[in-house]
Amino acid sequence: MTLPKKILLIDIDSCVRCHACEIACRQEHDLTAETASCWCRVLTVGPRRVAGKLHMDFVPVLCRHCDDPLCASVCPVNAISRTNDGLVLIDETICSGCKVCIYACPYGCISFNELNRTVGHCDQCRGRTEAGLDPACVQHCIGGALQFVRREELGERTSGQHRFLSGRVCYVSSKWKLQGNV
Amino acid sequence: MRPVRHDERLNTTVYKSECFICNQGCDALVHVRDGTVVRVEGDTSSEVTKGTLCAKGLASKEIAHHPDRLLYPMKRIGDRGEGKWQRITWDEALDTVAGRLRSIERGSGPESIVLATGTNRGWVRYFMRFTNAYGKQWIGPGIAQCFYPRITGQTLVLGGNAMENPHYDATQCMLVWGVNPTNTWPVKGVGMMDARRRGAHMIVVDPVFSEAASKADLWLSLRPGTDTALLLAMLHTIIEEDLYDKGFVERWCHGFDELHKRVAEYAPEKVEQITWVPAETIREAARMYATTKPASITQCLSIDQVADTISTSRCLAMMAALTGNIDVPGGNLITMLRQVPPGPAHSGAAWVTPEQHATRLGSREYPLLAGEACMITPSAHNHAVWKAILTGKPYPVKAVYCHGSNMLLSYANTQMVSEALKKLDFLVVADLFMTETTRMADIVLPAASWMERGSVTQNEQTSIGHFHLQQKTIQRGECRSDITIINELAKRLGFGERMFPTDESYFDFLLQPSGMTFETFKERGDLAFPHVFRKYESEGFRTPSGKVQLYDQKLEALGYDPLPAYREPDESPVSTPDLAKEYPLIITTGGRVPVFRHTELRNIAILREIVPELEASINPETARGFGIGDGDIMIVESPRGSMEAKAHITEGIDPRVIQVPSHWPGMNNVNLLTDNEKCAPMIGSAQLRCQLCRVRTK
Repeated sequence: MTLPKKILLIDIDSCVRCHACEIACRQEHDLTAETASCWCRVLTVGPRRVAGKLHMDFVPVLCRHCDDPLCASVCPVNAISRTNDGLVLIDETICSGCKVCIYACPYGCISFNELNRTVGHCDQCRGRTEAGLDPACVQHCIGGALQFVRREELGERTSGQHRFLSGRVCYVSSKWKLQGNV
Repeated sequence: MRPVRHDERLNTTVYKSECFICNQGCDALVHVRDGTVVRVEGDTSSEVTKGTLCAKGLASKEIAHHPDRLLYPMKRIGDRGEGKWQRITWDEALDTVAGRLRSIERGSGPESIVLATGTNRGWVRYFMRFTNAYGKQWIGPGIAQCFYPRITGQTLVLGGNAMENPHYDATQCMLVWGVNPTNTWPVKGVGMMDARRRGAHMIVVDPVFSEAASKADLWLSLRPGTDTALLLAMLHTIIEEDLYDKGFVERWCHGFDELHKRVAEYAPEKVEQITWVPAETIREAARMYATTKPASITQCLSIDQVADTISTSRCLAMMAALTGNIDVPGGNLITMLRQVPPGPAHSGAAWVTPEQHATRLGSREYPLLAGEACMITPSAHNHAVWKAILTGKPYPVKAVYCHGSNMLLSYANTQMVSEALKKLDFLVVADLFMTETTRMADIVLPAASWMERGSVTQNEQTSIGHFHLQQKTIQRGECRSDITIINELAKRLGFGERMFPTDESYFDFLLQPSGMTFETFKERGDLAFPHVFRKYESEGFRTPSGKVQLYDQKLEALGYDPLPAYREPDESPVSTPDLAKEYPLIITTGGRVPVFRHTELRNIAILREIVPELEASINPETARGFGIGDGDIMIVESPRGSMEAKAHITEGIDPRVIQVPSHWPGMNNVNLLTDNEKCAPMIGSAQLRCQLCRVRTK
C-alpha cells in the first residue's frame, strides 16, 4: 500500500461550527438539496459537563479515504477504487446506484444523488488540488480547524497533541484523547 | 492578482470584488461565465481578509440567480398587501414616487415623509447623505439598537472608534463581550481563533454558552442586561487592586478620581447579586484582562440592546484605556479616520437646518440619537415614527421611502410596525426579494446584489487600513444599484446637484484622499496603508479635553450623569416583580446563526438546509418544569404577544433565561414579543436583550 502525500488535518479544538466548509463544498461540487448534499458536515457534541465544567465540541465529518475502504469492497460493480495517492474515488459512469456502499461506510460519508441516481463523496477537491489550490473547505475554514498538510509535516504539526490518523484524514485535539492508531 | 483575469480550470472571467452580504466586507473572487456567476470564493491575495469567506458569502451565486429575485419595478394593483402587481418601467416608477412624495409633502408638510434603510451594505452612508440632501428624517432598525450606542459611547470616552478594532495579531488576552465573532464577523473570527491557537487567553461574557464561549478559558454567564454592573465591578477590581496603567492614566485620563469614587459603589460581592456572576469570577476575569499584556476587547451588537447602552460602551472603552490597551499592538486600535473623506462633506450635515434638528421625532427624549447632539448622522426614533403614523402626533407621517429593510421583522413590536405600515398613504421599498415588507408597498424597486454593483468601502469595524474594491460582475433583469436609484430619484425631486451624477463619480469622491479615481482603483484592485500606533501621543485624543474622558461634561450639560452607572432593565424580576410572577423567564433575543444575515437568506436552500427552523435555547430544568421536551414547539408569550419556537434544550443557558434568535418570519418572529417603548436613556435603544416572557407547550 502506498502512502498518501497530503493529509486533511482536522483540529477539533479549533472548529467553531460556522458551516463555511459545508457551503464551500456544496458550491465547489454543485451540490444542492436535491443532489447529494452532505459530503461534508459538522456535528455538535454537547454541551455536556465533564468534571464539573461545561464543554461543547464540533466535529467536521467527511470521507476518511480509508486505507482499506469498506465501500470499495462491497461495491458490486467495482465503481470504487483507491488511487496510488490514497484517494478513494467513485466512478459515476460505472456506479449502478445500488446504495450498498452507503450502508457499508462506518462514518456515513457517502450520499445519494437523486438527480443522476449515483453516489458521491468528498474527493478532497481533486480538481482544485491538482491545480495547486487547497480544498474549498480548507481555504474557507474560519476556525483554522481544517488544514491540508504534507504527510511529512504531520509529526511537527500535531506534536504534543492527541491524534487519530486513518486514510487521508487525521483528527487532532489537545483537549480530548482520541482513540486510534497513529 | 489582477482585478480581472481568466481562470483556465473553470473557464471563467474572475473579478476581484468584495462580498457585502454583511458589513464585514470580505475580498472575494467572482467567477463569471456567460453572464452567470458560477463560483464565489475568498480572495487569498487580500492583505486584510486573506481568503476568508463565510457560509453566507459562499452561497452568493444562489442569491444572484435566485428564481424569486425582483427583476423589474412594479406597482401595486390590488389592495395593500394583497400581492397583485403590475410591471412598470423605471421611468414610470421613479416619476410616480417623485410625484406622490411631492403631493404628500404639499398636503401634509415636509415632515410627513420619512426615509428608511436597513443594515450597512456599503451604500448606507450614501443613503444618509440622501436624507440630508432631501431634508427628511430617517430611521433604521439598527441605529439606536445597533452601532450608534457603542460608537457614541466610545467616542465620548476616546474621541473615536477603537473598541470595534481588536488587534488579534499581537494580542495575548481577548475579552469577548456578548459577541460570537465566528458567527457574525468572519475575519474577526479567524483572528480570534488564530490568537487562541497561539495561546492567547480568552474570556467570554455571554448568557449563552456560544461557540466562542466553548473555546474560552473563562465563561461569564451573566444575567441578560446587567453588562454595565459587571463592567463597573471589573473596573472596581482593576482600580482597587492597582492593576491599571498608572503612567497612562496620569498622562491621558480625565476624571479618574470621580470614576474611582463611582466604581467604589460596585464591589464584586454586590454585583454578584445583580449579575449572577460569582464575585470571585468577576475578579478573576478583571485580573486576567488587566494583567495580561497586551489585551483586546471584542464587542458588538448586544451592548446596544440593554437598558443603559451608552454607559455600557463607555465602560468597555474605559477598561481598555485604564489598562493602557488603546492604540497599542495587541490592544484596540483607533480608526484612522483621516484616510476617508471627512464626515460632514460626505454626509451633507451642513444642509440640515436647526428646525429639522428640533422637529426630528425623538430629538427631545433621545438627544444622542435624534438631536443635534448626535455624534453620527442623527436619526429619528423608530417608536416615535410609528406613533406619528398611527396618531398624527406631533405631526402626521404619511409616506415611507425605504431601501433594503424588512421593517416588519427587524423592528421591535411588530404589531405596532404592521399597523403603522398599513396606515400609510404611500410606501416604497427597494429590495432584492419580495419580503414581508415589500409585499405591503405601493411601488417595489428591484435592487442590485453586491455582485451587480460597484463600490469603494473602508470598513471601520474590520479593515481600518484598507480600501476595498467592489466591481460590477453581472446584470440581473433591470436591477439597479441603490446609489443609481437614489440619484435618479434625487434628480426628479429637484436636488440632484446635492448627490453625485453617477455611481462612479461618487466612488471618485470617496477615493480623493488616496489620489486615485475609481477607474485607476479598478486597475489596482485594493489599497492598504499601515496602521500608525499610539496616534494620541502626537495628536492627543479627539475629545474636548484631548484626553480619555472618564468624566463627561457633554453629558452633564445635557442633564445626564457624567459617569457611567448601572441601570436595571425596565422589565426584569427586580424592576417589575409583579410582572415577573406572570412572566417568570428572562428572554434575550438577537443571537445570530452563521448562515443567515438578519432577515435575509432564509430563502437560500443550501443555507436553510443547515438551519431549517428557529430554535430557542432553554435549560433542561426549565423545560422539565414547563413540560417541554427537546424539539417540541413552544409558545413563548410576553405582555405584547406570542410567538412559536422549537425548543433546543441545552445546559448552556441559565434556568432563568431563554434565548430566541431574531428576524424569523411569521409566528417565529420574536419581535411579536418585544417592547419598543421603554428605551435606554440618551439614545433610545430598545432593550431587546432583557425582557420578560413565559413558555408553554403548543
